Amino acid sequence: MTHPVLQFSGVQVVARVGKQEVALLRQVDFAVGKGRTLGLVGESGAGKSMIGRVVAGLLPSNLRFAAGRVLFQGERLTSAAARGYLGKRIAFIPQEPLSALNPVLTIGQQMLEHLKRVGVARAERNQYAQAKLAEVGLPEPAQILSRYPHQLSGGQCQRVLIAMAFSGDPELIIADEPTTALDVVTQVQIIHLLRHIQKKYETAVILITHDLRMAAHVCDDVAVLYAGDVVETGPARLVLEQPCHPYSWALKQATPSLHGNLHELPVLPDLMPGLRDMVELRGCRFAPRCATRNVECESHVHPLEAVGEGHYIRCASACRIQENVQTKVLPQRSSTVVAGASTLLELHQASMRYTIKRADGKKAYFDALKPLDLSIRPGELVGVVGESGSGKSTLARIMAGLVQPTGGEVRVSGIARQGASTQQLEHMRQTVQMVFQDPDSALNPRRTVESLMTQALEIQAGITAENRREQALRLVGQVGMAPDALQRFPSQLSGGQKQRVNIARALCAAPQLLIADEIVSGLDVSVQALIMNLLLRLNRELGIAVVLISHDLSVIRYLCQRVLVMYRGSVVEQGETDTVFSNPRHPYTRVLLSSVPPDDARANWPPAQGSLEAQMALAESER
Amino acid sequence: MTTKVGSGPSWRGRLRRAVGHPKVAIGGVMVLFFVFVAIFAPWLAPNNPNAQDLMATLLPPAWDAGGMAQFPLGTDSLGRCVLSRLIYGSRIALLVAVLAATGAMVFGSVLAVLAGYLRGRFDTTMGFLVGLWLSVPPVVFSMLLMVGLGTGVRNVILAVVLVDWTRFYRVVRAEVLVAREREYVQAARLLGFSHWRTMTREILPGVLPLILTLFSLQMGVAIIVEAILSFVGLSVPSDVVAWGVMLADGRDQIYQAGWTLLAPIGGIIFAVLAFNLLSDGLRVTLDPRLQKRS
Repeated sequence: MTHPVLQFSGVQVVARVGKQEVALLRQVDFAVGKGRTLGLVGESGAGKSMIGRVVAGLLPSNLRFAAGRVLFQGERLTSAAARGYLGKRIAFIPQEPLSALNPVLTIGQQMLEHLKRVGVARAERNQYAQAKLAEVGLPEPAQILSRYPHQLSGGQCQRVLIAMAFSGDPELIIADEPTTALDVVTQVQIIHLLRHIQKKYETAVILITHDLRMAAHVCDDVAVLYAGDVVETGPARLVLEQPCHPYSWALKQATPSLHGNLHELPVLPDLMPGLRDMVELRGCRFAPRCATRNVECESHVHPLEAVGEGHYIRCASACRIQENVQTKVLPQRSSTVVAGASTLLELHQASMRYTIKRADGKKAYFDALKPLDLSIRPGELVGVVGESGSGKSTLARIMAGLVQPTGGEVRVSGIARQGASTQQLEHMRQTVQMVFQDPDSALNPRRTVESLMTQALEIQAGITAENRREQALRLVGQVGMAPDALQRFPSQLSGGQKQRVNIARALCAAPQLLIADEIVSGLDVSVQALIMNLLLRLNRELGIAVVLISHDLSVIRYLCQRVLVMYRGSVVEQGETDTVFSNPRHPYTRVLLSSVPPDDARANWPPAQGSLEAQMALAESER
Repeated sequence: MTTKVGSGPSWRGRLRRAVGHPKVAIGGVMVLFFVFVAIFAPWLAPNNPNAQDLMATLLPPAWDAGGMAQFPLGTDSLGRCVLSRLIYGSRIALLVAVLAATGAMVFGSVLAVLAGYLRGRFDTTMGFLVGLWLSVPPVVFSMLLMVGLGTGVRNVILAVVLVDWTRFYRVVRAEVLVAREREYVQAARLLGFSHWRTMTREILPGVLPLILTLFSLQMGVAIIVEAILSFVGLSVPSDVVAWGVMLADGRDQIYQAGWTLLAPIGGIIFAVLAFNLLSDGLRVTLDPRLQKRS
């Protein structure tokens, strides 16, 4: 009889909260066989990474393995045994490739050290390392070995880590969000590579991800986790096509689709329970946010029940969710633009060029942004897409006035920024505001929410504490937060709340244009939906124009009427979002579009590597 | 340095929480005791600290055989009451600790925030100057300063400030460099904040816990430096009672009368420990970044 490579049965991990114990993983069951891929899907706090820690035998000391069994190749996996297997029989691929490699050692030093541990003979190590690097598609492996991590791109670093993971001939690979930190195009390549090597060695893979759509295309089976419970598990395609648990359904709905009609994204009320909330939740942990809950849900945990071939869910109201929730089809976007109005912001041949001193003393130039014309009208929703390094953040900073372009000019409401008077500059600042990407860095941790939201009033004369309170109450309502949040500090808020405070601060100056730089990319999908709906509402109710910078095409399609595709510092394609996405002209746009996992679970994804590379080569030649 | 962190009610809440922290509680009680002794020295001391009783020199503490109840901790080589001198010595220690640490803090932090925020030529010049400053051994430097300035409490304070401001400068500047890259600093500029306002409202509150920690450490260091200077006879005139003077006086009788040394050493340890505990606790409790989500 053959065993699965890894099997969890009834695994329970508990943490202490005061005098009570709370299960962070409750009755987790799953198995992954030889050459199979299991996707663990869920948002942050669902317990995905905890499973990786259990397998590695590296549970934090405040947590306890309370019940259940972990079987590896049919044998009980103790944490001491697991630590001995790490790198050899069980390997990990981490989330942040750049921080997983030591910056002061060369790739060669790190790789050879790893090979030594794995047990490759000294004489063969160099040869072996080169062979492995060639296998993951890195050209000139000998050169790569002598490089330092910062000299490689994120994708190359991830390839190195994959080569290292596979160099011990492991039976099990655990990949924890291996592509989250990478660009979409690189993401496809890495997924493709992982699949390819996995097939070759028949390795079992556990792919931890927050992206249900990607998991459905890449994995054989998926398990959807919510607050430490497996809420749904089954064949990957089936789970994406017919999600039966209300949470999986919400997860699928929260990512806007790239084709067809746009539906208003449903938003789950409230948040995933934290450690303290879990103490209170005796029954189904999703119940407080569930639209189909009944009295029973709150008192006891439903067992996993079959709803189809190998498809199990943990829910009393199986598969009834779709009938109960109606989604609104969104109106056509183009109607919100005020016809004939003057332009809000114009760029005339604006460009950004950096001078680099080379080692030989000569000067070299780097064009972060090539001369660009762009105009934004009042009430317009414009998207900018591109990979990292394409110049989209430079564009955002120029538009916001954080940096001056080295060439060309920027006009706000018809007045050029250069040579504007102090008063005019003041007016421009009020017209154009920016929402920063990372709310953790963008909110001063020492200010309260009220003080943050009304920061713009601080420099105006004659503003009393009452004025600020009134304004804060108005803003808190506009971004949909409860007024009792006003006295909190950012560290006491969730990710979505922080991002709303971030937006409210920009709104305080009553701007006509918001520049939003990747403001939804760091958020969980359900929170992302909430922020996107907020931006749409602000646009509709206050007529604020938004320039949304993003690498996520589905986000752009959901929000924007017009899109600019950027590649290596220039705009390679622009137009109405639907036109560009349904009929892309430039090869790079085509590459971007084919990099997004489609909704249709039966579509072929990831695309064949050859076609993608051919398109990239074409993009390179056409730019 | 009076930047308001947060607004009204939360301050009181944080203060209440701070007092509940064991380090703050213990350190605070110790500091209060230290301050109390320094202020009420004339009422607490059993004898005049400078009154000599040549008939009763080098008496052991009162509980020892041959001790006298009049001198609870014994007497020194001139027959002066060790306990009274210990109590009066805390006045100089407290004065030097508070004034020297404040001076070094203000001087070092202001320059650090300016250099770290503005960068450019000012920062480069300051970096060079601080490098030069630090290349002189601190003890030798302070002794040279004392020789140049002359003895006296005021000059001790000045010497400590001039030697130790670099400690604040280097550490605070490094923190300011991190803080200025935060997006909230850019956001404040976009909202129209001036450089000055950005520095005082956005940067300074962020480095304040660090400054507080350094401040209390510096109070301890100032007490030690004052003791060292008194020990080599370069601090206060000999009629002023200071712990360093007591150490210097007791050194000759270290074998016969160890208590004359142990008393000032105990005083120094107590004061330095009190400041360190308090600052460490305050740093943890006043920093909202360390607050948990409720």
